Amino acid sequence: MSGAETILLLVRWWLIIGAMISVAFLFIGIDRIDEDARGAYIFRPLLVPAILLIWPLVLWRWYVLEAGREIWSKHYRPPRASHLVAAILMAAGIGTALFLGLSNRQTWPADIAPERLSAPGEANE
Amino acid sequence: MSDPKKPFFVGYLPAPPDLRLFLIVSIVSFVVIFGATGLLIGSTQDDPGPGAGQGRQTVTGVVEMIGYPVIHVTQGTDRIPTGRTLILSSGGKNGAVGRAAPLEGQVVQVSGLLLERGELDMVQLRGGNNGLQAADGNGAVPRPKPLGRWKLAGEICDGKCYAGIMRPGRGLAHRACANLCVAGEIPPVFVSSQPVEGSDFLMLTGPDGGVMPQEGYDAMAEYISVEGEITRHGDLLVFAMDPTTIEVLP
Repeated sequence: MSGAETILLLVRWWLIIGAMISVAFLFIGIDRIDEDARGAYIFRPLLVPAILLIWPLVLWRWYVLEAGREIWSKHYRPPRASHLVAAILMAAGIGTALFLGLSNRQTWPADIAPERLSAPGEANE
Repeated sequence: MSDPKKPFFVGYLPAPPDLRLFLIVSIVSFVVIFGATGLLIGSTQDDPGPGAGQGRQTVTGVVEMIGYPVIHVTQGTDRIPTGRTLILSSGGKNGAVGRAAPLEGQVVQVSGLLLERGELDMVQLRGGNNGLQAADGNGAVPRPKPLGRWKLAGEICDGKCYAGIMRPGRGLAHRACANLCVAGEIPPVFVSSQPVEGSDFLMLTGPDGGVMPQEGYDAMAEYISVEGEITRHGDLLVFAMDPTTIEVLP
């Protein structure tokens, strides 16, 4: 299996799992963890694309809320607290990607001359 | 309440004295760092090569199918001498297999954009019969001349982008485009590390003389070595590669 086929297979399974979780969450889970969603159905299909992509997060939040492990005060912690770390990591990531990209390039095989293995009509060795 | 003594930058007011040094250092750093980064990245890029379009040409010749269509010119122009062998493609990421196959062995008139890069000549046909149509005249497909089995080092590219329709038309950054072009039946070419029988490139086919096999797509744009049979068709070298011998070079 080629690299491209592997990537496509992984993406396909990610979306299939996401589809199954979106069905379960939108028919069952959302009513259990969000009382404001009870009796409201029209908006639910709008959530499907996002659930397909971030279904692990949906599962995690479903579990946390269902298990009563939610810490409500976390909602009010400024998300910007992690921005500095994220910015540094991203800058380092860009630098690393550039370095690896420039240092891992193949070398044009200018010193390898064409080699005749057999003349026309000769059996191939 | 924020500290009133803490300097605060407002774009339309003079910069606070405490921030001027920081501002100057930031501006200079931005210019220098971005400029140096651009220079560094630019200096590592390969020369895109001399491939380019050479305007519309109309010639007459005989069609031969070697996995992909070529034409042996029987009546050329000032730019394309009689006897030259041209590889054919259509517009966009489309080859000309379907258009040329019914005319195999026949004399045709070909019209389109000539793409040239070294010994590589390709014509991007105009649409419909204006690009390719049967014509009067005599001509025959030259007898192919086998040149034996060779081991070559180099890179598989799609013949159209490499010939100048895109710049650069080779390299890893161009790999996806090249694969799409070849999947659209645009003839692939093998760019050799050193000239083979006087030519730096060879049209590429599968081991049976058909279209390039799947393994060629996986090796596209990488520097590889590969074995195969070389045959001269007119003045065009055709490399029937053996995909089991592909080795990626360091």
